[in-house]
Amino acid sequence: MKKRAGLSWLWFAIGIIYFFLPLVATFLFSLRGKKGVLSFVAYQHVFADPLFLKSFGFSLEMAILTVLVGLALIVPTAIWAHLKVPKARAVIEFFALLPFVIPPIILAFGLIRSYSSGPFSLVTSPVLLVAGYVIIAFPYIYRSVDAGLRAMDLRGLTEAAQSLGASWGTLLFRVVLPNLRTALLSAVFLTLAIVIGELTLAVLLAWPAFGPYMALMGRNLAYEPAALAILSFAMTWGAIALIQLLTRSGKDKEKGANLGAGAH
Amino acid sequence: MAFLELHDIVKSFGKNTVVKRLCLNVEKGEFISLLGGSGCGKTTTLRMIAGFETPDEGTILVDGKDVAPLAPNKRKLGMVFQNYALFPNMNVRKNIGFGLSIAGAPKADIEKRVDEMLEVIHMEDFGLRYPHQLSGGQQQRVALARALAPQPEALLLDEPLSALDAKIRVKLRDDIRAIQRRLGITTIYVTHDQEEALSISDRVAVMREGVIEQIGTPFEIYNKPATPYVSSFIGTLNVLVAKVIDPATGDLEVSGQRIRAGAALEASAGSELVVAVRPEAFFLEPGNGDTNSLVATVENIKFLGSVVRLVARAGQNVVSADSFNTPSLALPRIGEDVKLWFAPESCSPLATAARAEIVAASEEGTQEKH
Repeated sequence: MKKRAGLSWLWFAIGIIYFFLPLVATFLFSLRGKKGVLSFVAYQHVFADPLFLKSFGFSLEMAILTVLVGLALIVPTAIWAHLKVPKARAVIEFFALLPFVIPPIILAFGLIRSYSSGPFSLVTSPVLLVAGYVIIAFPYIYRSVDAGLRAMDLRGLTEAAQSLGASWGTLLFRVVLPNLRTALLSAVFLTLAIVIGELTLAVLLAWPAFGPYMALMGRNLAYEPAALAILSFAMTWGAIALIQLLTRSGKDKEKGANLGAGAH
Repeated sequence: MAFLELHDIVKSFGKNTVVKRLCLNVEKGEFISLLGGSGCGKTTTLRMIAGFETPDEGTILVDGKDVAPLAPNKRKLGMVFQNYALFPNMNVRKNIGFGLSIAGAPKADIEKRVDEMLEVIHMEDFGLRYPHQLSGGQQQRVALARALAPQPEALLLDEPLSALDAKIRVKLRDDIRAIQRRLGITTIYVTHDQEEALSISDRVAVMREGVIEQIGTPFEIYNKPATPYVSSFIGTLNVLVAKVIDPATGDLEVSGQRIRAGAALEASAGSELVVAVRPEAFFLEPGNGDTNSLVATVENIKFLGSVVRLVARAGQNVVSADSFNTPSLALPRIGEDVKLWFAPESCSPLATAARAEIVAASEEGTQEKH
């Protein structure tokens, strides 16, 4: 028993080293912007560059739009599939795999070919970029929502709410969505993280997004890209921490409500 | 005219017809149980009343009005589910007040009604707890209060106690009945547990393969089962293989021993017949009218609380015999021979064809109980 526990700690340690060593190295490298001393000068350069904020702001905007469109499309679909056509879930699962199988470059060329001339000439519109992002984010949003729906007794809750007089709208906003909160938050942050760092679509559709900006920096500079990498990691972890915090605070609220009434 | 009427209801899922021309009338304030094994159509029937399933044929009338055009949220029927289905994001008060809140009731009225309901279910101190902080029994009481709070026209319960352990089940079923009596609400209760159905219902409808085999008071169902299925599904039934000696007098031979049935038999002398005897019809001491006796070897003794069940074998027949567990009860030892006394009236002859059916049904009943 003990031996096995020791072995699993060993594997855990190897995993941690494999994951963190490059990060630590990158971080240390990013501090060497000034010769001979460790400093945050590379970070200062990054923040001083107006393109950094501009491209980041643009990507954030696109990410928020992607989240809104993605959730509006996928959440009702997933709920409907769970409740009314459980067989369709297999089909949706299949579609949710496609963005992994088909590389973004194919998607980008497909979008450009299809929408560069009438009837829908969209290549110069951010609509096409958001549409592409929705496809890329689809598996993440769908999987989060699907897991959330599986975790709750959707059918039971739906029927209970209906028998109490709830319409579909009431059901969605007062019962289903509040119980999907954790799933929705993880869908939102995953989508933000993916879209903000996305490169291929942004480059091929020629948008001044954060992904291309990072790539450009990587080509021309040494320390700043390392700083950027660390920053984007920090942002992603910040997002994950936020998910944890928000879901935890929900649970704390429930715990706070436990007024210690005696056992029954 | 009954308060709730089901006329010729038919429902199929694909090729499988689960409810076949079912008719049922429920009076206002009545407590009716739909009892049957799995797949008998009892839950489907309840769900059609609630509006979650649509009947292929037939009509459902509530207070004289056809409910077919009404969606489940317009039917004003309270429903309690097996797995409680409380809203996890709401505390007990919010759960109970949900129906009133979406009906747009004033806040003060909702609060007042929630207080009333908490009192009805004896959970006044639990209003601010969340469902996951409650035991199963408490959750189901909240679910009951939630269903009753908007004052529905009828209450539908779908196996509400199946997920609970035995002790709480008994307590809660008594609570449900007491609350139902107090509020006088028409109630339809779906269960596979015959003891549950018999103990709380005004009437019990025993269902099998989509039809009601018998509907009647618990007393009628238990003591005058209309079909072999009902007789075996309700309670435990001993099935004895007997040889007809004299059809006119009702004389039979069971494992080489003479007994007499209560009435003349519709079978020829020498033919094989099956007779059914309830375990509680056997006595270890002869009483008034117990003119039949059967010598059997004790194979097992089971303590069932207030009752002790002897399992004894006489030739090919194995019988269960129940005795009240009184301090003076002198129990035989395993392996000993006992004489089991019973009255001719307590053995009901059954057609041989019914035997297989009965064995299957009692197995079904036993499985369901576990």
